[in-house]
Formats: sequence, structure tokens, C-alpha cells
Amino acid sequence: MGRSKNTQGTTTPLLSVENLEVAFDSVNGKVHAVRGMSFSVGEGEIVGIVGESGSGKSVACRSVLGLLPSYASIDGQVLFEGSNIIGQHEDELRKIRGKQISMIFQNPASHLDPLMTNGQQIGEALRYHFNQDSRKARAEGIELLKAVGITDPEQTFDAYPHQLSGGMKQRVLIACAIACRPKLLLADEPTTALDVTVQARILDLLRALNQDRNLSIVLVSHDLGVIAEICQRVVVVHNGLIVEQGKIEDIVSTPKHPYTQMLIDSQPAVKARKSCEKPKIELDPELSEQPPNLLSVENLRVNSRTSRGFLDFLRHRKTSGLVRAVDGVSFKVRQGEIFGIVGESGSGKSTVALAITKLVSPSEGQVLFHNKSIMELRGDELTNYRRSVQMVFQNPYDSLNPRFTVAQTIGEPLLKYSLATKTKCADRIDELMELVDLSIDLRHRRPRQLSGGQCQRVGIARALAMKPEFLIADEVTSALDVSIQAQILALLERLRDKINLTILYISHDLAVVQMFCQRVAVFRAGRLVEIGPVDEVLTRPKEKYTQTLVNSAPQLHFSASLPAH
Amino acid sequence: MSLRNLPTTLIVGAGIFLMWLVVALCSPLLMGTDPNALNFEALLQRPNINHLFGTDHLGRDILTRVIYAGRIDIWMGFAGVLPALIIGTLFGLMAGYFGGVVEAVLMRVTDVTVAFPFFVLVLAIVAVLGPGLTNFFIAIAAVGWVSYARLIRAEVLVVKNAEYVLAAKILGYHPLFIAFRHVLPNVLAPIIVYAMTDAVLVILFGASLGFLGLGVQPPTAEWGVMIANGQPYVTEAWWICLFPGLATVTLGLGFSLIGDGLAKHLRIKN
Repeated sequence: MGRSKNTQGTTTPLLSVENLEVAFDSVNGKVHAVRGMSFSVGEGEIVGIVGESGSGKSVACRSVLGLLPSYASIDGQVLFEGSNIIGQHEDELRKIRGKQISMIFQNPASHLDPLMTNGQQIGEALRYHFNQDSRKARAEGIELLKAVGITDPEQTFDAYPHQLSGGMKQRVLIACAIACRPKLLLADEPTTALDVTVQARILDLLRALNQDRNLSIVLVSHDLGVIAEICQRVVVVHNGLIVEQGKIEDIVSTPKHPYTQMLIDSQPAVKARKSCEKPKIELDPELSEQPPNLLSVENLRVNSRTSRGFLDFLRHRKTSGLVRAVDGVSFKVRQGEIFGIVGESGSGKSTVALAITKLVSPSEGQVLFHNKSIMELRGDELTNYRRSVQMVFQNPYDSLNPRFTVAQTIGEPLLKYSLATKTKCADRIDELMELVDLSIDLRHRRPRQLSGGQCQRVGIARALAMKPEFLIADEVTSALDVSIQAQILALLERLRDKINLTILYISHDLAVVQMFCQRVAVFRAGRLVEIGPVDEVLTRPKEKYTQTLVNSAPQLHFSASLPAH
Repeated sequence: MSLRNLPTTLIVGAGIFLMWLVVALCSPLLMGTDPNALNFEALLQRPNINHLFGTDHLGRDILTRVIYAGRIDIWMGFAGVLPALIIGTLFGLMAGYFGGVVEAVLMRVTDVTVAFPFFVLVLAIVAVLGPGLTNFFIAIAAVGWVSYARLIRAEVLVVKNAEYVLAAKILGYHPLFIAFRHVLPNVLAPIIVYAMTDAVLVILFGASLGFLGLGVQPPTAEWGVMIANGQPYVTEAWWICLFPGLATVTLGLGFSLIGDGLAKHLRIKN
């Protein structure tokens, strides 16, 4: 890992934040987002800020550029090259923004203007700050695109953002940000919306920019693994306060604060490592007596077509724009196991789930449940099948009807299928809420009054109301903080043992799958690349793609050579 | 929920509307006299103690007529909007949620309807059916549902991909149940806001039609008709047109403010 020159020492740091306090006025009084943070960034340094959602890390980052809304009250100092930014006039700030300090964001798609070509967006910054003419801006823009690792800079320069992939968009955004040769780049969750392999490349790029251009970077992320990958120092924030800061190696190997310890322990990769040290589940009885298959997917093919227009409809044209979402996939899930499906976006992993739940119909192949094909199920048989196969979704807020209370959400299937009488329903709801560790006091809350983790528990309780045998969990933890993620995974594991649930766990996160699943299937572009026991596939991958995937995943490195404190 | 959390515009709008509603409902109590009573001894009188808003060319008391007319105009706001809202919502929901043939047919019908200017189409229908309030409502519903259908369909297209709708499908619910219980309540907010602005349009529209002689028939008091009647005298007797005009404006403003406030309130909630 590249460490750039250490410029800390006697010189004043490039950026120093001192006793920063930010509060927002809201209907319920003041909300203190940042409650006194002090940290500094030296020239040519990469500093990571890690914390969970609501910890104030993004707010602190934005206040450096004076980007907070007008109802925020700010206290303290943000010194950039010795002069205070807080309280400066907009006109002064504009001279700093872009030219001295610039910023990149989580979702590159929403930060690029869809009506401008990539070149225009880059050129705009150059023209604004340096008064360059368009010819010169073009030449420099293409140079910049080359610098951020875009292979065909000339075409990309003239293309529109929607013609690029997510990773390319982030590169263009970075090109815009570094166009005016700023000294400091603020990166707010720059890789969170990207696939792991793309993430690894963007992190490489940031590291290269740091070395080639002596660009200081503040990397804000919820993922300690990402931070550890490229940062020299890390600032751990929790509830608006800095709980600990220091060299990344020191923090990871000998965290002093319990919160940092918890954050490190919640990292799925660390958990997997720890569970490896423990004796794994006794393998011998499993070998002698394999549990029966609960679900088998045989040679599944799902074609999805782009929507048909009215004329296509008149002409009975059925196959305009055919896309093979799933292309000949077979696997079996054994009773009582947690089976993982891993893949990047667009690999067809969610489509498989929809085919299993019969929400899309495959064009070829079949799905067997208890050795019976589900393809021909109708009426009552279909209802019974639906009851035994349930699903939990990715987005905790989107997966609950915003108008329903918790009790209504969980109770609806109970009443609808007469699984409980009206009088017994309330008891059953309480029972289910207890089962998923939800306090019964939350019964009459609506989704927006719940946290992400609580919403996810409600979603699980709703699925469990049907007493399913098979639960599909589609990216259920990817929108949650690591500590909440660990809790939800623990809950699912407990449910499996307690009510004999078989779980199909779909995720893009290798570390989670490694920790949580027994067997795994790796998907790529609708095809199954590799399948087998987790420890085999993810530690000794046979296929090249799986190897890339495994190598791209950011991890905390606990090398044995680390000094034992 | 306390009143304090509501947007000011919503409270003011609701206040104006409630004032008109109370005035309209209590009109016989407030103004005992017959709004159509002629008084040839008091023609075209300026506003005075006996006739606060003056009298028209037939000696009818303007204040009484404005208040009685409120009943018809408020009724017009509701009866003109509700049928269009219900029909449009149902069609839009079906088209958006089920797609396919239903959607193709419905949306082409709306395209054709939208291709005609709203006013011209309503006028044509009223002209064919004959003048009168009922025919006006029929015409408004026949043309007006289109906007609701389009608006609802667009909302449904978003909501139907929400994971809670997917969850409902996986729970095996009937599609109609999902459409009405899980989708519809979540797409109603913009429709209600739109209905409020639509009510203003319908009232203004009813007044214009009354002005043209195709809406409410004389001697029934209606703001548009009253303005039409006062038109020949507007240079010497401004009060005949002014007061019904002001009434139309305030009621319209009330509805607009309610719509505005509701939009703000619902946006905050979501």
C-alpha cells in the first residue's frame, strides 16, 4: 500500500478544524449534529473519517466548504492554510470552492447535469476559475479524463453522463473536482454506490492522485475497510464527537475507545476471521447425513424485455429488446442451510429471487420446491407456496407501506389468511415482534418514526407471520450501518435455529456472505460462475472472476507482523 | 396533531373556505329576503344602509344574491371536481398498475381528450346537451377526469415498484387488493392538492359559462350570471359586477391556499 511522504511536523497543516460545532434548528428544538470536533489534514495526507449514519461525519465535511443550509448554526474554526472559512462571505467562499478545496459525492449520477456533456461540466470549472477559452478547456479536459483513468477520453469528453457506467461517472466527477488543481479533495462516501471491483479501482485512482499531484484527501466513509485501504490517519466519529483519532494501523490493531472496538468487531470480515479461529460447525455428521434439498433451481433462464410501445403491441411483437437477465442457472438449497448468492449489480441475482417467488416467469428451466415444480401452481396450491416462501428486501423504508403502523403491517397477512382470529391477532403480533427483538412499544409507530434497523426487523416479522420455511433475504443489510448489520445477521441466524428456517442470502458483500453463509454461488452477468462451500469458494477461488471479486473487497488487514501491543 | 404544525396558507385557506361554507349554509338565516325579489323602487342603487352592496337593474339586493349564490358556486366546486376525481383516479390506477391493454386504450383516450382545448370541449358538450348546471357537471367530468387519470398513473408507476408492493405480491394478495389498499392511499396526496386548484378552475369556469348563458339560468343567483347581468351597467353601476367578482376571487383564493398548504404539509410529512 502506497504511503505518501509524511509532511506532518512543524509546518501548519493544510486544513485544521478546531472545536467545530454544528446545530440545526428543527421543529423539536436544536439538533446537535457535530458537537466539538477537532482534527487536521496535512499537505499530501489522506485522512479518513469513519462513523455510522447520523454521526455527523458528512455535516463536518460539508461545513469545510460552507455548504450547510442557512438554518445551521456553526461554531468553532475551520482553518484552511491558516485563514478561517467559517463566517466568510459567499463571494470569498466561491474563490475557495473548486480552486482550493473541492468535493465528490456518493451518487455521481445525481451530481452530474444530465443535459451537459461530460466535457462541458469539466470545462465549466476551468472557464469559471481560469477564464479559459473552450479550445484550451477541451485540451485540458481530455488530459484530466486521461488522468482519472478513462481509456477513451475524447469520446467520453463528448458523451453525456447517462452513457457512462457508475464507476465512469465517478471518475468524471473526480475529473471535475480536480480540474482546478485544488489542494484538498473532500470525498463523501465516494464508493458506496459502486460495485466492489469498481470501488477498488476508484480507491486506486484516489491514491494515485494523492501521490502524483500531492492532493490531500479527506475520505468520509461508513466502511472502515475502505478507509484502511488508502488512508494514513483515521478519525472515528460517533454522535457528533470524535471518539478516537490516530494512525490507521494503531486504531485497527489497538483501538482505545469501546466504540471503535465495536466498529471493528462489527466488520464482517473480522467476524469471519474470528469464527475461523473457533472450530467451525462439526462437518462430520453433515457428510454422513446430508439434509434433503428444499429448493432446486434447474437450468433457469429469464429473459427480460425492454418495454413494448403501442405499435409493438399492435403488431403482436413480443420480443423487442431481449435481455437475458438470468442465463441457464442451476443450484440446490438444502434444508436448514444459509445459502449465499454473490454478484455485482446486474448479475441477475435479484431476478433469480423473483423467479423463485414466481413474480417473474422464466422462459426456460424450472424451480422445484420440496421436489415439486412450482411452475404449474395455481389457486390454493400457489397460495400455500407463497406462504412458505417469503422475502425480505434491501431498502428498510421502501419495503414498508408508509401509511401502515407496525402492527398493521405485521397483522395484515395474519388477518388476510385467517392465521389468527381478530382477538388473537394482537397477541400474535406481539409474539412476532418479540421474535425479531422489537420492543412492543413500537406497535403503533409508522415507518418514518423507526430507524433503518427497526424497519428491517418489521419486514422480517411480516415475512415470518406466514410461518415460512424458506426466506429470501435480498441485500437486507446493505443499507444499514455495520453495527446494525451485525445485529440483523445475528437475528437471522438465530431464527434459522429457532424456527428451522432455510435462508437464501443475496448480497454484493463478500465479507458478509463469508461470515454468514455455508454455501455460496457467485453470479456474473446472469451466469453462475462458481458454487461451493463458502470457505472454499471465497478463500481458494478457482475462477478468475471470483478471484478479482475477492481481491477487490476492502478488508482490515491484520497482518501477523503487526506489533502486538 | 396540533394546529400549530400546519402551514399558515392551509389555515388561512381553510378559514376563508369555512367562512363561505357557513355563509352559504346559513344564507336564509342571514338574509331573510328572497334573492330574486324585485324592487322597482330601488333600481341601481349605490351601496347604502339598506342595501350594503347596492342593488341591480331590477332592484334586487346584491348582498343577498351574492350570499345565496355562494351555495351554488361552492356546490359547483365540489360536484364539478368529485366525479372527475373519482373516475380519473380509478382509470389512472388501473392503467398504471395493470398496464397492458387497459393502459394502452386509456392513455390514448386521454391523449385525444387533451388534444382539444379544455374550454372548447366543455362548451361543445354543454351546447349539445343543453344549458344547465347538471349538464355542466357532466361535461366537466367527461373532460376533467383525464388530468386526474394521467397524474395518478404517473404516481402509480413509481409506487408500484416500491418494495412494500413487492412484499404484498409475495404475500400472495389479490392484485386488486394491492392496488386499492397498498398503492392507492400512497398516490392520493398530489391528487388532493390538484383537486383544490381544479375546484378554483371549475368555479371560474362555471362563472364563465354562466356569463355566456350556458350555465346556471336566470333568475337564479350565481356569481358569473350576476357579473354578466351587470356588464351593461358597469360604467355607472360598478357595484353590480364588483361584489360577485370579489366573492369569486376570495373563494378561489381560499381553495388555492388550501391546495398550496396541503401540498406543503404532505411534502413535509413524507
